[in-house]
Amino acid sequence: MDPASRPAVVIDNGTGYTKMGFAGNVEPCYIVPTVVAVNESFLNQSRSTSKASWIAQHNAGVMADLDFFIGDEALEKSRSSSTYNLSYPISHGQVDNWDSMERFWQQCIFNYLRCDPEDHYFLLTESPLTAPESREYTGEIMFETFNVPGLYIAVNSVLALAAGYTTSKCEMTGVVVDVGDGASHVVPVAEGYVIGSSIKSVPIAGRDVTLFVQQLMRERGENVPPEDSFDVARKVKEMYCYTSSDIVKEFNKHDKEPSKYIKQWKGIKPKTGAPYTCDIGYERFLGPEVFFNPEIYSSDFTTPLPVVIDKCIQSAPIDTRRSLYKNIVLSGGSTMFKDFHRRLQRDIKKIVDARLRASEARVGGELKSHPVEVNVVSHPIQRYAVWFGGSVLASTPEFFGACHTKAEYEEYGASICRTNPVFKGMY
Amino acid sequence: MILLQSHSRFLLDTLLSRLQNIEKAVELDYHWAEFDDVRYHIQVTMKNPHIVLLSVSLPTPPPETVFLSGLPAGAIEAIKAAYGSVVQILDPPRDGFNLTLKLNLSKLPTDEEYKHALLVKIASVREVVLGAPLRVILKQLASRTVASDIDPLVALVHRPKESFFLIPQAEKVTVVFPMRFKDSIDIVLATSFLQEFVDARRTAGLNNAPYCMWSPTPPLELKGAPDEALSVNAGFVTFVVLPRHVEGKKLDRTVWSLSTFHAYVSYHVKCSEGFMHTRMRRRVESLIEALDRAKLGMENARNNAAQNRSFKRLSLKEARNHSFN
Repeated sequence: MDPASRPAVVIDNGTGYTKMGFAGNVEPCYIVPTVVAVNESFLNQSRSTSKASWIAQHNAGVMADLDFFIGDEALEKSRSSSTYNLSYPISHGQVDNWDSMERFWQQCIFNYLRCDPEDHYFLLTESPLTAPESREYTGEIMFETFNVPGLYIAVNSVLALAAGYTTSKCEMTGVVVDVGDGASHVVPVAEGYVIGSSIKSVPIAGRDVTLFVQQLMRERGENVPPEDSFDVARKVKEMYCYTSSDIVKEFNKHDKEPSKYIKQWKGIKPKTGAPYTCDIGYERFLGPEVFFNPEIYSSDFTTPLPVVIDKCIQSAPIDTRRSLYKNIVLSGGSTMFKDFHRRLQRDIKKIVDARLRASEARVGGELKSHPVEVNVVSHPIQRYAVWFGGSVLASTPEFFGACHTKAEYEEYGASICRTNPVFKGMY
Repeated sequence: MILLQSHSRFLLDTLLSRLQNIEKAVELDYHWAEFDDVRYHIQVTMKNPHIVLLSVSLPTPPPETVFLSGLPAGAIEAIKAAYGSVVQILDPPRDGFNLTLKLNLSKLPTDEEYKHALLVKIASVREVVLGAPLRVILKQLASRTVASDIDPLVALVHRPKESFFLIPQAEKVTVVFPMRFKDSIDIVLATSFLQEFVDARRTAGLNNAPYCMWSPTPPLELKGAPDEALSVNAGFVTFVVLPRHVEGKKLDRTVWSLSTFHAYVSYHVKCSEGFMHTRMRRRVESLIEALDRAKLGMENARNNAAQNRSFKRLSLKEARNHSFN
């Protein structure tokens, strides 16, 4: 049977979570933390010991090499025993440990998806700032180790745009605001091509929101055990945080009706097993506020997200700007805060309108310009929008033609993975 | 992970999460595939959230195996015996699938432990269906009631258009796997893996394991098998299963391990490739490190030369220490 008749495998490796599943579905099969627990106790030992026990050491080393876990299992293992070291193969959207990345894929394919990689085409994702060498490396691992029949490495922001793809609206022009756990990018895309020179990065991402919430709770003296505080902060962020329209009003609301707005968190201390409770107050809206007023969190970076988006669009080619403003797409888990898109739309609109008024005043009111339509698109699948976009694209018949095949890889080498052309199914 | 689990992890997760929020009546429609070309489809409609439709498609059987209406012999009985009243077999199955099961979640037992065990069993539907004929034969072996009129050579489906062979006898069952791989590197690795595998059987700790052999040519037992079933590129593996290997609870595990032997080998071949890549990468890194060290050393030497009036010949050890500074 031809591999093209089977569903393609779509894996979106993010800094925080990896989303994987089969093309043609609406949801990924698994969303697991991108982490590998490796047992390296044998590998370091074998160097210093004598040659007599070499075989035994070697065998132990080989077995230790099979002894690794990924995702939630990895976190659990590292907590319960000290023989495992945690390794995060991706940091800030870039793969930096290829050994653990290869193992991570191995487990994804064989233990989670349980498929034979020789039978399926693969669609992987990468951030728009990834170096071509890293794509070559990915291709090498995929073709050499796993013998995949075909591979396509897509830019995740393009996939996020494709996630909004419906038969009525085939828009492949827009700005993708991708706020993940470790990296945030604002990426303008025109007709499916990334405008590389206008990509803006924001050094504030989901992890910073967590750190900020943790800091607020610590400063208020909440009764949270220190070894657990990051985890509690992350859960508080995921469950209770929301975006406010005005901080001052929000503070007043909280002060007037504390019973309505202040939530309780119940937990169990991991070491002693004793239960504890703590209050969750202002951090509910101050956490996401980090994106709109970064000065409350760090003094190094003080440009609010709406201003970054506006700058990004202003640096794009002039003929695309209007359509870019019209289609601002959110993606990534950290855009899931309630009313995040409303606040973003309002703030960008404010900036754009102010500029229009200024230019009208400059020409003296003789010329009236068209008002600019600003539209921030939000959909319920934002958390795995990139994966969904990949699933949609990989289920079109054109996908299989756009893939690099194993035969091509063997003919030309890993360099073919450097470019992954936009294909017709995209729009 | 060294052995594959018999249940499909995703199917189990889906069923468990279904049970937890059964009131929330969310629609579900999911396709996925597994190794050896087994495909699944699960569907739950808004109207009756208690009914789960699970369809399974099996690998295309080679001509020498016995398939009754798209299922291996004995599969329907095996399903009925394993699941009881919770599962109903729909006839005809969904288009493009070999089997459609109708699960009624409201009929699940109330005892938590038993319920979980049953769900795991449902998630390992592949083992129940594909392993059914193998299980029948091994069960006969366990009770030593091998029918004398049975065909001396039984072919069972293993992978798409590939089969493995069983030679049932009163005291033992011989299982022969013809091994085939697509990629040339895989063939080499698999061949040496299988030879090592047979050697490993001889170590002291594995005295009770089934006897196993590897040979590049078809073993004598396979006389009479069709020629195309005997064209291989990684040799033949033979296991001799004795009654003590299939007693009681061991039966399930033996059935599963035998029917996924190819996947097991293929996983380990991929693991070895990964391991070799790791070693190669480490070697390249150490070479680059050595080169970098040489570069830095030159700079340092030049700096030293400029600073010091007189030259002193450094020993190798000192030179290395200097280059680190």
